[in-house]
Amino acid sequence: SAAAGPERPQVVSHVQQALSYTVFDCKWVPRSARLVCLGSAARGTGLVQLYELHGARLELLREIEKPKPIKCGTFGATSLQQRYLATGDFDGNLNIWNLEAPEIPVYSVKGHKEIINSIDGVGGLGIGEGAPEIVTGSRDGTVKVWDPRQNDTPVANMEPVQGETKRDCWTVAFGNAYNQEERVVCAGYDNGDIKLFDLKTMSLRWETNIKNGVCSVEFDRKDINMNKLVATSLEGKFHVFDLRTQHPTKGFASVSEKAQKSTIWQVRHLPQNRDIFMTSGGSGSLHLWKYEYPAQRSKKDSEGSEMGVAGSLSLLQNVTLSTQPISSLDWSPDKKGLCVCGAFDQTVRVLIVTKLNKI
Amino acid sequence: MPVWLREHSWRQTLTAVYLSLPLRGARATPANIFCSERYLKVSIPPFLFEAILYAPIDDTNSTAKIGNGNIFFTLYKKEPAMWDSLTLANAGKEKLQYLRENAVLKAQEKAKEETEAKKITKQEHKKYALEATMKLEEAERKRIEDLKEKERQKVAEELELWKNQQKDADRYKSIQKKGELHHEIEPLKERKNEKMNKTKIPNEGTSKIGLKSTKGCCGSCNIFSQNLKEEQLPAPRAPATVKVNFTPRVFPTALRESRVAEEEEWLHKQAEARRRINSDLSELEDLKEEEKNPDWLKDKGNKMFAMGNYLGAVNAYNLAVRLNDKLPLLYLNRAACHLKLRNLHKAIEDSSKALELLTPPVPDNENARVKAHVRRGTAFCQLELYTEGLQDYEAALKIDPKNKNIEKDAEKIRHLVQETLQSS
Repeated sequence: SAAAGPERPQVVSHVQQALSYTVFDCKWVPRSARLVCLGSAARGTGLVQLYELHGARLELLREIEKPKPIKCGTFGATSLQQRYLATGDFDGNLNIWNLEAPEIPVYSVKGHKEIINSIDGVGGLGIGEGAPEIVTGSRDGTVKVWDPRQNDTPVANMEPVQGETKRDCWTVAFGNAYNQEERVVCAGYDNGDIKLFDLKTMSLRWETNIKNGVCSVEFDRKDINMNKLVATSLEGKFHVFDLRTQHPTKGFASVSEKAQKSTIWQVRHLPQNRDIFMTSGGSGSLHLWKYEYPAQRSKKDSEGSEMGVAGSLSLLQNVTLSTQPISSLDWSPDKKGLCVCGAFDQTVRVLIVTKLNKI
Repeated sequence: MPVWLREHSWRQTLTAVYLSLPLRGARATPANIFCSERYLKVSIPPFLFEAILYAPIDDTNSTAKIGNGNIFFTLYKKEPAMWDSLTLANAGKEKLQYLRENAVLKAQEKAKEETEAKKITKQEHKKYALEATMKLEEAERKRIEDLKEKERQKVAEELELWKNQQKDADRYKSIQKKGELHHEIEPLKERKNEKMNKTKIPNEGTSKIGLKSTKGCCGSCNIFSQNLKEEQLPAPRAPATVKVNFTPRVFPTALRESRVAEEEEWLHKQAEARRRINSDLSELEDLKEEEKNPDWLKDKGNKMFAMGNYLGAVNAYNLAVRLNDKLPLLYLNRAACHLKLRNLHKAIEDSSKALELLTPPVPDNENARVKAHVRRGTAFCQLELYTEGLQDYEAALKIDPKNKNIEKDAEKIRHLVQETLQSS
């Protein structure tokens, strides 16, 4: 339960909206007080609902139904003027929609043989540089990067070696996009693998295994020299990797925390402060964390190679909102502390986290 | 042998008796004094003083004062009357004994009553304390709730403000956009690679633009701005593939640290089972090479089962079991044959053996365990042992709660169980 200390951030529940379908993802529409909810209706079709925040309630502006249930979406690769929504569905289709004219997608490709579990976009919204790109991770074991200007074929494909049994890819994230050439994709899989692909060199830059299926990965910022990565997993654990120093054999330094008994479904960094992030859990709870850097971020090992030093984590606040997993979470990029989360109790909640300025 | 204290002295009034007992140097504490309505005893080993009182006294209010090598008793008579003597004369030994015991009993009862009374007061105090604490906590809770509520309201107001700001900003931007495009179109007409100038044109009304394709439609306006921007974006990446290896995992399910030990055990068992060969069979030499392979025999058995040749299938499984008695699927499939052949007890035996071998329970052997439970359950039911059958069906449902067939059958069995209970 929430602590009532006067200086601690509080998680205030602002709006609760009951939905008549299962919501898998929710995202703020950039530069607005609107949000989209994506999911699966009882009759097996996909739904996109566009809501606007009006006082203490959400007003439904538009409802769009599509043939296949929708699993995930992102505004990351679209321009601020267009604000097109890219979605991945249960059938492996990647679509980009103009929400003002959603009958026909602006871009469409059957990208994967199985459900697209996770999607991320980069290069849009006036953030960072370089081409707009979308990455999708699927149960078919592949991770593909798409450029909306190129139809049908991905610009990068991370697929299993011939004959290798595929593993379910559960999560993908872009990072290191600090100039036009550099970009990495991080992917997490159900067997605990985390892989970091460098798109400039088209090679595997780093991999590790965290012993539990990886539910969510996110860089603290996509558009800077890669700084930190948080990876959450089954069994209530998450790891924070310091990406500034890569040791030749030991890889990246990390600190981990076991926060809850159940799966940690999502991690999302506060857009306005990259050292604060929220994790959402299978027990219906949200935890707000702060990462503290160590005095020295790197040191030399016995052979003189540089290795990173992980910092420490402190729990700022936690709150239980539901009895069902909170499977999706998104901070508003425009209003600090405003966030939306979707849970499997068919409810979407708009929350406000206060006192983030004091941290 | 106790040393009797006899040098006591006493005097009386109508209502009280004053007794003075010198202690001969012994030290007395309240524990040494025992007093009831008719009986008074002071025992400081080896000294002893005992008195059967002439008449009953009020022992609750009577007092004893210890000091100066002396105990001074103030005994309040129950009935105001002058006593002939302090103690009862002619008290027979039995009467003495009786009185002594009675006194002890009465004292014990009184002690019990006192503890009871104490307990009750203690409980009442506790209750009071609890209520007081609860009130305090309630007040605290309310205070926190109020704080939170205030916070919520403040935050909601701020949000509204921000939202209105957004709306205004949006409106301003869309007006601005129209103005910008006006300027973009002009250089496009003349030169292609002109840098975009962002000039602010306040309150531009509807602007008449000569070009057909830009007639007030925001969508196509955007194409132009997009085209210009595209000039500055890098081209799409040259497609490439990166080949990926995964950390090996036998099970198709996700990796969970807490299940790893169980999974390892299961894999180990499976591996062991496959390697085993019961080598003490002299008939082995008569068999063809393929008939010595339990897996091949199992397949043969499965085929015969599919064709309805249940006896043949049983034979195949029997031979396979003799070669390797640790393969759960052999027993599982043989159980199915026995069901068809109505060898119900054998079906139960084989299903049980299969379940035994299917430990530890992991997602990998879920299917097999469900089948084993269902087969055993069916056999029980056909033997009219419905309660046992139901147990197995419920176990199967626990593993696979979504299976409608099992659910239906379990319901049927439940009804049967209830019927037999009612009729017996």
